[in-house]
Amino acid sequence: SSTHISISSQEILNRIESIILEIVTSLSKAEAPVLALPNRSSWANISFDSAIGLQMSSRQSVTTIRADCPSSVTKFAQILKILSVIYRLVQSNSYATKRDIYYNNTKLFGSQKAVDSIVDDISCMLKVPRRSLHVLATSKGLISGDLCYMEEDGTRIDCHSSSTAVSVSSNISGIKNIVSSAKFVMIIEKDATFQRLLDDDFCTKISPCIIITGKGVPDVNSRLMVKRLWDELHIPIFALVDADPHGIIHLLEYLSCQTYFAMSFEAHSLTVPSVMWLGLLPSDLQRLRVPKDALIPLTKRDESKLCSLLERPYLTSQPEWQKEMKLMQQSKVKAEIQSLTAIAPDFLTQIYLPNKLRYGGWI
Amino acid sequence: MLKEMQQVLRLIMLMGKQRQKLGLRTGGGLLLLLWTDTEVSTQKLNCTVNCTVAAAGPWCAGIQMEALQPALVRLKESMCPCVWPCNEPDPEELSAFTDLYGSLRFLLSFQVKDTRHCTSEWQAHLEAFLRTFTLANAGIQIHLKLKINQEASLREFSVKVKRRVALADQLLLTLDVTCSAPPPCCVKKGCWCVRGHPAIGGRLPLSIPPQTMEQGLFGDLSVQVVTLLTPCLLPYPNVATELTHIQVLVYNPSNIPVTGPSGFFQKLPAVLDCQELGLYRVYCSSFKDLVYSGGTVYTVEKDSWDDPEQESSLPTVQQSLLLFFFLQHSDPFTSQLTDLMATEMLIELHLEDILNNNRQALVAAVQTELRNTLKSQNHRKKQQEKLHAAAEVILGSSMSIVSSSSNMDFRNACLSRMKVCVCQVHDTHELAASLRESLWRVTSWKFVPKAKCFSTKMEVHPENDEPTTAEI
Repeated sequence: SSTHISISSQEILNRIESIILEIVTSLSKAEAPVLALPNRSSWANISFDSAIGLQMSSRQSVTTIRADCPSSVTKFAQILKILSVIYRLVQSNSYATKRDIYYNNTKLFGSQKAVDSIVDDISCMLKVPRRSLHVLATSKGLISGDLCYMEEDGTRIDCHSSSTAVSVSSNISGIKNIVSSAKFVMIIEKDATFQRLLDDDFCTKISPCIIITGKGVPDVNSRLMVKRLWDELHIPIFALVDADPHGIIHLLEYLSCQTYFAMSFEAHSLTVPSVMWLGLLPSDLQRLRVPKDALIPLTKRDESKLCSLLERPYLTSQPEWQKEMKLMQQSKVKAEIQSLTAIAPDFLTQIYLPNKLRYGGWI
Repeated sequence: MLKEMQQVLRLIMLMGKQRQKLGLRTGGGLLLLLWTDTEVSTQKLNCTVNCTVAAAGPWCAGIQMEALQPALVRLKESMCPCVWPCNEPDPEELSAFTDLYGSLRFLLSFQVKDTRHCTSEWQAHLEAFLRTFTLANAGIQIHLKLKINQEASLREFSVKVKRRVALADQLLLTLDVTCSAPPPCCVKKGCWCVRGHPAIGGRLPLSIPPQTMEQGLFGDLSVQVVTLLTPCLLPYPNVATELTHIQVLVYNPSNIPVTGPSGFFQKLPAVLDCQELGLYRVYCSSFKDLVYSGGTVYTVEKDSWDDPEQESSLPTVQQSLLLFFFLQHSDPFTSQLTDLMATEMLIELHLEDILNNNRQALVAAVQTELRNTLKSQNHRKKQQEKLHAAAEVILGSSMSIVSSSSNMDFRNACLSRMKVCVCQVHDTHELAASLRESLWRVTSWKFVPKAKCFSTKMEVHPENDEPTTAEI
């Protein structure tokens, strides 16, 4: 491991040390140590900036975690434990995944979720992006297409194979030497659709491209990968999601304009402001005359979700998207991408996508 | 002599109880004068003791001695072979008493020939009885003046902290809830609760055994359980407690403690379900440090497989539990004072039979009260274990950061805060030890003031501001 620690790493160490010094100071005065956690889960702490996306307000409400209270002492200990792990990681310039941290001390943490939540709390507490803490998320995304790069440990990755996809790396910031002649990146909501495109050799047939899926709700690494590709390649980014409220929510995830509070702190570094909604659009359902039995009626929950989505800050500056969503509201139906198979078995890869891409059918 | 005094007390208490039902106050004074005649004092074998019982104060306001004549006649009969009347008491002693409590409402003197009264052991026995009496009748201040064999002594039994407890049938008790256990050294001044908080337990109906009914005891008999756990640790929620002793005290319907060993209560621990309670064993013992006489004392032992090392390092405060059994009796055909006296003597005489006749219910009652006490004890232990386990992680993590830090300012700041000398060779060891000690102290002895522990109103009656035990 490298002995050279960058300045920002030193700052992180300093911030952790100041927390420890506060604890020592409390104990020296025979007072119970207390940790102040910014309250991540309150909408009151979030604001929207058109350039950055959602972010934490500078004025925050805090939750105090006391060391002398049996109901909170375990959380106090968990936070300190992870702080000490992060300290060592930053100091030695090495990395660990959240899963590693959990499995090293399952008794203390109880669940993976506890570790994940505390890592995010610490990110807010230290006001440092999570990846600067040298704690990596375990990714679940897949990527394939015209793309080669090198991982931090020197492994060369080639995404060209059409038979198997590559797992999205856990350490996106460590990726270097990205080589690609792709004309666009396509985010695919569902794993099943992704596999379908792989099977149909989509990435070589139309034009060189990269396809990526977060398998539903995208994890941080999938979003980071999309952002990285945007930063490096400056090619359009399209999204292929179901024509339903959940599809739109997943689409918005990539824009970090969503209920994913934890990451709103890091919105600045995760935003890809120009993801374009390629399909499946509600207007496509009408235009293509998708058979009625492939359509699903909206539930009451769907309807209320649509209403609340329309009020999201980001969408006020996207009239085309609003129009599509209102169309869904009016028609009171939703459809999955698979519904296109009701028109023809390979309608998606043979006709729908090629036409969309050729004739600019995105918004 | 004790029995005779108990009889007189019974009369006064039953009178007072009748009056209490009328909603009158129960405070006041009781004077007990005991003196030996000087001419016979040299011969201990023929000791004659004179006794005067006098009562004054709100608790006997309105009593007229003339109206008590029938009851007194019966009383004298029951106290045979006492001699009536005896020598008159010293008027000065009486006037000192009336100065405090007002004019006398009750005055009775008698003489007893008994060799036992001239011993200090008997005196100690008497004092213990009076203390036990005061425990459940804290509103009455007792003045005991003894002049035995030319040795004079004065004892005043008054209570620092009282608490009124309302039982069923509008029965009011004034209990002595003073806790004299000294605070542990970690406790700051003014932050220690000096009172117990009585808890009203179940009320059990008792069935009267047939042989007792044949003797003339009828009506409804029941027992009201009240518990008192001391010392109070409510303001210290993180400290572990350990119940070490239980004392069972039984009181007659007139609120006079039942003296003498109880076979029933002595054998009771053998039938308790210790496993359910999480205890190793409970056994009958005599624990000399306990203040109250009479009654039965049990020693409690926890499971012996608990980790002894952890036990010694975590702060634990030992507690004792007082279990009051207040017998209550009502019979619509018994309202005359003489009948009440006779009924109560019957209850006392046949108490063992009555208790045995209701064995199951009584054992269940004791088991329930123990379970409730231990539930809270176990909860505290779990909380403390949680704090302890987390504290180790907190300390380990903090020290890991301090030890591996290359920031000298930070390290020195930590050391100087905890007053650890930087020049010491093993400064991080010292720091770790110092932090551990402070963290344990701060978390274990976390103080959460409770209104019922530190409220200055309500608990102490205005006529009882001066605490005291004085000897002349």
